[in-house]
Amino acid sequence: MQAASPAFQDLLRRLLNAPLERQAIESGQVDAILDPATGASILLPAAQDAMRESQLHAHSLVKLSSDWQWEHDKDFRFTSCEGSRIVSSAFGDKTIVGKRLWDLPFDNMTEVDWQAHRSAVQHHAVYRNLELRSRDHAGAVCFFSLSGEPVFDKRGRFKGYRGTAREISNLTPAEGASQPSSGILLGALDALLAQICVLDSSGTVIYSNAAWRAFAATRGCPGIGLAEGASYLAVCDNAGADDCVNGSAMAAGIRQVIAGQRRLFRYEYGCNTPTGRCRFMLTARPFAGDGPASVVISHEEATMRERADQSLHIDDLVAKRVPIANRVLAAMPLEEYRCLSDGLEPVFLNFGDVLYEPGDPIRYVYFPGDSLVSLLTQVEERMTLEVGLIGSEGMVGISLALGVSSSPMRALVQGTGAAMRMEAGRFQLELKQSPSLQRELYRYSHLLMAQFTQTAACNRFHGVEARLARWLSMTRDRVSSDRFHLTHDFMADMLGVRRVGITNAATTLRERRLIEYNRGDITILDRKGLNAAACVCYRVVKNLFDGLRR
Amino acid sequence: MQRKRTKVRASSPGVETVVVMRLYISGNAPNSMRAIANLEAICQEYLKDAYKLEVVDVFEQPARALADGILVTPSLAKMAPTPVASIVGNLSDRSSVLLALGIDGKDR
Repeated sequence: MQAASPAFQDLLRRLLNAPLERQAIESGQVDAILDPATGASILLPAAQDAMRESQLHAHSLVKLSSDWQWEHDKDFRFTSCEGSRIVSSAFGDKTIVGKRLWDLPFDNMTEVDWQAHRSAVQHHAVYRNLELRSRDHAGAVCFFSLSGEPVFDKRGRFKGYRGTAREISNLTPAEGASQPSSGILLGALDALLAQICVLDSSGTVIYSNAAWRAFAATRGCPGIGLAEGASYLAVCDNAGADDCVNGSAMAAGIRQVIAGQRRLFRYEYGCNTPTGRCRFMLTARPFAGDGPASVVISHEEATMRERADQSLHIDDLVAKRVPIANRVLAAMPLEEYRCLSDGLEPVFLNFGDVLYEPGDPIRYVYFPGDSLVSLLTQVEERMTLEVGLIGSEGMVGISLALGVSSSPMRALVQGTGAAMRMEAGRFQLELKQSPSLQRELYRYSHLLMAQFTQTAACNRFHGVEARLARWLSMTRDRVSSDRFHLTHDFMADMLGVRRVGITNAATTLRERRLIEYNRGDITILDRKGLNAAACVCYRVVKNLFDGLRR
Repeated sequence: MQRKRTKVRASSPGVETVVVMRLYISGNAPNSMRAIANLEAICQEYLKDAYKLEVVDVFEQPARALADGILVTPSLAKMAPTPVASIVGNLSDRSSVLLALGIDGKDR
């Protein structure tokens, strides 16, 4: 068990005094207690035992189903390889520690194959059943199948790979024999419009469908229309590379499918045909049949699909602009926004969530999108009064921008919706580096101060009805919607008046046909009328915001 | 536990029908696994599609659990509709889970 901090011991004392928590712990329903100082989980003994047992169980299953278990470091060098069957072959030998997979003497992989594999592991992809061939010390051919998955540490940094290996020299024919008969499959291929051929393991065309045979070879697409018995891979290799098609890339992908390293290879390329420039999609999949058939190749014309993709791409670009719904973020120059966006995390704020309590340290700052956050001042624990309202025009946690790390007010989510948040430390760092962010936030804190002072004066001098109209108009501006859901109790808290005061004011506004009100659902019927019914404070603050934004 | 009980007396949420919950667990520890199974059964029976459940593994996201004021696992926090509530344990006591989620068992 990890050493517990004094804060943790304190917490234990508190938990044992809380009846519900104590009951849950005593009845064995709790797995772990978190150390409030570090966040480390301290597992209770029963959970520790159960997890150790389940790990042992998983470990023994892995041992049963594989011959070796290996690990790589982050440079892809073997750090360990353990297994029950240590034989003197290229794999499973202790001498592989410190070497990379592609340094070992496997003879079925070309440089292109290794390049593809290296590229996959550099992108931290999981790979399954990579088949490798080598010879043991006696000169006999051995086949191995490797599977691996990337390993990351707690912070998400790449640590290396771990995986298993099996020797499959004796298994390969048996696995092949269990596949279904191919007669029906070959017949069905003729009915398809796409050009399809079947290759054997050396890349020779052993079957082609009607569309393939009908395809005029003059159209200049490498290999299509090739007669049975010719080597498709050789044609691809010889085609070389030009600006629209790379024959060796096609060949490399198909070889991987033949070798069982990929279940699917797709490659899109262009062709100049008598009817204009066309695009084709090549798809290669392993062939599930008996006999020599190894891979199915299909070519489909992708010109129309490409056009559709292009228009989708434009839609996508348009859509990508929308998430920057927060105006502080939207006002940043693109370069600085890009730096900032690494530290931004989208969150969904729910009505009633408390983002800060007065005096609490600020852990995150929030940039509301379509959510709405109220700043509340609390008097004598039970009375609250709203002093500020923050929507997409601002940021919650402005104290941090002014160098104070705790919030003087409660921040309460008043409108459910999306926001971006940033961790406090990161925010302070970004603020130092970004003059635009500084400018936007200083400007915004000025506006917020104006809002505070105006609200203070308003609460003292204006009637409930005018204040309610002001507050509804402000809410409307920030959520950009004429309908929202608020209860009398909630509005009474916001405006610091008794519930009955809200009921009377809301009834008056309803009688004047400015709003409709039904079980907490508020609909603004006459926006201009409501603005006019609001006290002058609404326009003072709105003009300030509008003026400074320009 | 700042989120556990807010003093705001609002009784209805912005989105009225959807129950938003977060379940904090410790990897595949036995009570955590049981809590997921128990909660899924309750949601299927009483809430159908009207819920959002996020499962937070404190092994992977300890900072988040602390930020949310979570001190033991498994813990279930109901974030919406208000009042927010939380419940500790493997959620095998169905009646107390229903109470915390504000579901009237007879209604549905």
